Amino acid sequence: MSFPNPAKAVKLVLLGEAAVGKSSLVLRFVSNDFQENKEPTIGAAFLTQKCTIGDKTIKYEIWDTAGQERFASLAPMYYRNAQAALVVYDITKPASFLKARHWVKELHEQASKDITIALVGNKYDLVEDENDGDTLRKVSVEEGQKLAEDEGLLFFETSAKTSYNVNEVFVGIGTKIPESSAPTGVQQAGNEAGRIDLTTGAASTTQQTSGCC
Amino acid sequence: MHQRSESNYSNNYSLLDMYKEDSEDEQNTLNTSKLDSINQQTTKEILNGDFDRYGFKKVSVHSSITNETYNDWFKEYAEFLKERKTKWVMLLKSNGLQVDSEKTIPSRFPPKSDKVKKLIRKGIPGEWRGSAWFFYAGGYEKLNKHVGVYDKIVRDTKNLQNKDTDVIERDLNRTFPDNIYFNGSLRSNQDGTPGKQKPQSQEEEKNSSPMIRSLRRVLVAFAHYQPQIGYCQSLNFLAGLLLLFMSEERSFWLLVILTERIIPKVHSKNLEGVHTDQGVLMLCIKEYIPSLWSILGKTFEGEVLSEDKILTKLPPVTLVTSSWFMSVFVGVLPIESVLRIWDILWYEGSKTIFRFALTLCKTCLESEEFQNAKPRKKNTELEQVELFQFMQSFPKTLINPNVLVDNCFKKIGGYGYGSISQDEINKCREFVAKQRQKLKNKSNSVINPEMNAQERRLLTGDDDIHDVYGFNRSIMSGVAWNNNISNKMKKRFSRKASKSSLV
Repeated sequence: MSFPNPAKAVKLVLLGEAAVGKSSLVLRFVSNDFQENKEPTIGAAFLTQKCTIGDKTIKYEIWDTAGQERFASLAPMYYRNAQAALVVYDITKPASFLKARHWVKELHEQASKDITIALVGNKYDLVEDENDGDTLRKVSVEEGQKLAEDEGLLFFETSAKTSYNVNEVFVGIGTKIPESSAPTGVQQAGNEAGRIDLTTGAASTTQQTSGCC
Repeated sequence: MHQRSESNYSNNYSLLDMYKEDSEDEQNTLNTSKLDSINQQTTKEILNGDFDRYGFKKVSVHSSITNETYNDWFKEYAEFLKERKTKWVMLLKSNGLQVDSEKTIPSRFPPKSDKVKKLIRKGIPGEWRGSAWFFYAGGYEKLNKHVGVYDKIVRDTKNLQNKDTDVIERDLNRTFPDNIYFNGSLRSNQDGTPGKQKPQSQEEEKNSSPMIRSLRRVLVAFAHYQPQIGYCQSLNFLAGLLLLFMSEERSFWLLVILTERIIPKVHSKNLEGVHTDQGVLMLCIKEYIPSLWSILGKTFEGEVLSEDKILTKLPPVTLVTSSWFMSVFVGVLPIESVLRIWDILWYEGSKTIFRFALTLCKTCLESEEFQNAKPRKKNTELEQVELFQFMQSFPKTLINPNVLVDNCFKKIGGYGYGSISQDEINKCREFVAKQRQKLKNKSNSVINPEMNAQERRLLTGDDDIHDVYGFNRSIMSGVAWNNNISNKMKKRFSRKASKSSLV
């Protein structure tokens, strides 16, 4: 398989409270799949996925992290050198939105200056069918939008379950990310001829481009 | 010593008991085990069905193992299991322990000996596992000191609601969704009726499987009993696996034994035990698998981590290997391999985790995929991440536990990972913990250890103080590393050099 343009490697980190759907968003993006009651991530999970936007190919190097608070001591290693971050919350859980605010603050203070951050309100499927009263939704679209505007973030409401808006998040990040933000030595890594991917098994989807766009 | 006789722990439960959806007194179920089906399923039923002996889906979404691969392996393995059972029956009989019939589950086992150890390493019969684990881990001693304690905690915590119970609730249905005892909807799917979606309402929640209710009680009770740990994600997998093999009360006490004695502080609030054990593992990799260390023992910037820096700047691969310790390989390896490691763990102790972690590292390193990919070694961060991805997915394909166990204990030039003694591990742990403590005292003497990373940073304005990537300074120079391992390994590698490479 060959790519016309060198794939640009982008380190993307997912942050957010436990059980908001971080791993599910990744599973949807990488394998176009959904698993009900996905197991909690312990430590971190690593995946890669190529994504073509126009004539640009991006290879996302995805760092999916554990959501429970005590794992946060590992976080600086996660977002070190990250060019993109998904800060995920559950639109039916107000506490998870509060946590998202904290992550945004932390990223602005600690991560690299030109990091592209997307704020993602997940589990849209749970509120989709509600015709009135919005009983399950606990975080309004406006609240999310406001935080995103104030902090200069991309904003999406998504459903990993129905796949609503999931690719858009990754395309959105890929579009917004500054051309020069990849650290030297990483930028060309995806373009070596005849290279062999280490990926095996269920995760061997890195060569797909269809998962995106 | 073992006052709790078989009658107290009658094992005559059947699967039917598990699916009685009536609301009988839950306390009655506290002292009963959940799984007795292991022996009842024939090899043929397993080969033709979708589930394994323990109720897990044979074909997991997490691995590339197909039904054909599974069956090819299991056909052979089933024969091996029969042979092992015969050996165990003989062992028990020769020790004067009664095994009346096929169905008998012994509550007592022979005292520890080389012979027993050998048998353990080849696997405990599935239906005896719970009983044997409990016996060899010192479960009876623990239980006899705490008669009635578990029941009392369960009563006391019945309506407890706090931060821990909140995370526990979120994780209950996310524990073994591939297992028929944990996920009732798999059962109805099998019957051809549409499966239930995950419980949303309280009404539905009450109808969750008995196993989920047991898991809730064990985890809540544990968080209450061990407040310095509370609830830590991964404990759900540990408690869940125990519950498949023994009663709630016994599961609870084995979880206590595991977190107190075997992997202390690994689940504590600051995960200090994770950092300690990963430090030990990294030092072991450096000593035992130098070729892998040359790839992994670097920061993403390519900085080679010298011995004195390992403990202060754990290499990023520890983000992968730390889950091997926290979950004790649950979800890392296929279930049969996990169970074989657990057989050894409860008998031999924590060195088992290090031995198998090293075996896994070595197996990854020697895999065809890894060897083929090696020439493009440029050491970019992307390449390291691809390596991590491989190290996470590859172990899930290692379907034959016998190969894994053999690789762990085989000796080359007189040494193997089985040569790492518990004493060495204990010394290394002590060494690493001490060094980390020193550094901590030095770096942030004003900082309360209870503070989280963010609070520490706020207080010190120093980004480098957190646990993994902190301590930039090289105040560790002149570290006297464990000479025992070093000398032994020097010998090993000088012998190895004259032989052909490892298989």
